[in-house]
Amino acid sequence: MKKTINIPLGSQHISLLEPVRFKFECENEKIIGVDADVGFVHRGVEKACTTSFKFDAIGYVVARVCGLCAITHSLTYTAAVEKLLGAQITSKAKYLRILLLELDRIHSHMLCLSHTCENAGFEAMFMRIMGDREHIMEIQELITGNRVQFDYISIGGVNRDLAPESVQKIKENLYIVKQKVQGYMDEFTNNWSLSLKFKGIGMLSLDDAYMYNAIGPLARASGLRIDVRNEIDYLPYHEVGYKMQTHTDGDINARNLVRLAELVNSIEMCENILNGLPEGDIFTKIKGKPQGEALMRFEAPRGELMYYIKGNGSAMLERVRIKTPTFSCIPAFSHIFLGGDYADAPAVLASFDPCMSCTAK
Amino acid sequence: MFTSFIKALANLFKKPQTIDYPVTPIAKDKEYRGLIEYGEESCIYCLKCEHACPPGAILFVPVENPSTNEKNKKGLAYNYNPYLCIYCGECVRACPKPEEALWQSNKKPDVAVKSDNVNSGWFELEKQHKEQL
Amino acid sequence: MQKIEVSLENVRDEIKKFYDYKQWHFLTLNGLALADEKMEVQWIFSKYEAMDEIVIYYAVIDYNEIIPSVVDMIPSAIISQRELVDMFGVQVEGSEKGLYLDEDSQMSPLKGCSI
Repeated sequence: MKKTINIPLGSQHISLLEPVRFKFECENEKIIGVDADVGFVHRGVEKACTTSFKFDAIGYVVARVCGLCAITHSLTYTAAVEKLLGAQITSKAKYLRILLLELDRIHSHMLCLSHTCENAGFEAMFMRIMGDREHIMEIQELITGNRVQFDYISIGGVNRDLAPESVQKIKENLYIVKQKVQGYMDEFTNNWSLSLKFKGIGMLSLDDAYMYNAIGPLARASGLRIDVRNEIDYLPYHEVGYKMQTHTDGDINARNLVRLAELVNSIEMCENILNGLPEGDIFTKIKGKPQGEALMRFEAPRGELMYYIKGNGSAMLERVRIKTPTFSCIPAFSHIFLGGDYADAPAVLASFDPCMSCTAK
Repeated sequence: MFTSFIKALANLFKKPQTIDYPVTPIAKDKEYRGLIEYGEESCIYCLKCEHACPPGAILFVPVENPSTNEKNKKGLAYNYNPYLCIYCGECVRACPKPEEALWQSNKKPDVAVKSDNVNSGWFELEKQHKEQL
Repeated sequence: MQKIEVSLENVRDEIKKFYDYKQWHFLTLNGLALADEKMEVQWIFSKYEAMDEIVIYYAVIDYNEIIPSVVDMIPSAIISQRELVDMFGVQVEGSEKGLYLDEDSQMSPLKGCSI
């Protein structure tokens, strides 16, 4: 007689809004086997990039891979093309790119924290964080002219300058959010629904994080010092006050605290950029066609994002390879579920902050 | 216990986070990225905007009675699909005479209805454009 | 970016010699369609806490060759191997079709795509 039962989580589940299915093999309450199915929304972006669009339009195509980290996708692609063309962009454009990248991270982390609250049954906190996230969305609309699809990065610089009158408004909003984040820190460490409930759940040890190549906040919560912002010199991250945030516990609570610490650090970076933004042009005209191969990495809100492009001197590229953070974390996710309770699975999954539209690009 | 009671009372008189949408309009930023607008008199028909547009929302298609602009030697007419446009502004950057011939406004497109013939009308134009090449 | 060419027979030995899981981070497995029914398979690694130090092992193969699996050394490679099987229609040891496409799908979208 069979001793185990199979329970699916997703692809339609009340606590999981993403099109992903985990098939759990359970022995009583314990999960002993995991199988992940992620290909529900595969759109063939990689093929479209090499067959339908010229290289200068692809920056706008790959921004549609994911709505949350649209800036990171278009920036990574653009940086890779600029590397192939040997282009130099102005320092003002570089700082504006960091500003947008960090705003992207702030609103994405806030979304993840709110979902973690929702999965703990703390709906009021979910509403509060989502309400405060509007301040960041307002800033993004002020800078780029749109709330969700920003289309801000272009080959050679950025599309819009920062208006002096909007700087004051941005600073005010960032200050409000900073105060709120201090409040969340208090809630996430002292409120039992959010701290004690999450301690020791969904553990990933440091050795396993190395073994399964975990990235992003998931790895940093286990004490693995991996952050692409620390490993690239393409953008001047160390000049704007970047500090790596790590934790040693490796459970859901540690992931929340790492995200909160990153929020504070990102807000500080944004403020530093606004205070010391250099003068100059935001756009340099770049000529030529990409030839050769380039690999570019950036730290998306969920971890390392990699683009590999190969050009042959014509307007169409030969290959665009997109490696998204959630995609390479799936083996680590499956490992964390093993040995845990089935009832914890939705909360553990929300703490990973999975982005399925990135994964099945 | 006591503080939570006071907070609960105070929350009763707080303004809501949301706005009363149809009555109060949504505040629109003046820098909002909106429709691309076109000035036919200044256009020199270089077709740079058509080549630059990532989704192909600008098409120049030959017509029977073209405009009297002397630069328009091939008898083309400008067509713009606001529902295909991603409002990135690449066309305005490519335009040799921005602000006069092509510029970005902060207006939103109207909601399309069936009589606008958005899809099949545009596919027809795309077909004509291919034939012309 | 350092590129090292290997053959399919010795790729496992090379990676075993090279890969120290506390020092190197396995990025992904990448496929690249080449001319004359050939393709290039790349195993991409980056070093932890180093400034953009990337090592790529690559092998040029025919579509009908069987690519050895590295899952026993790098457990996280399983997902990229399955993607490679789906996208290029090649065979990788121990990885079956069906991550993005259907299990019985005859398509391989990126096979010979860029040529």
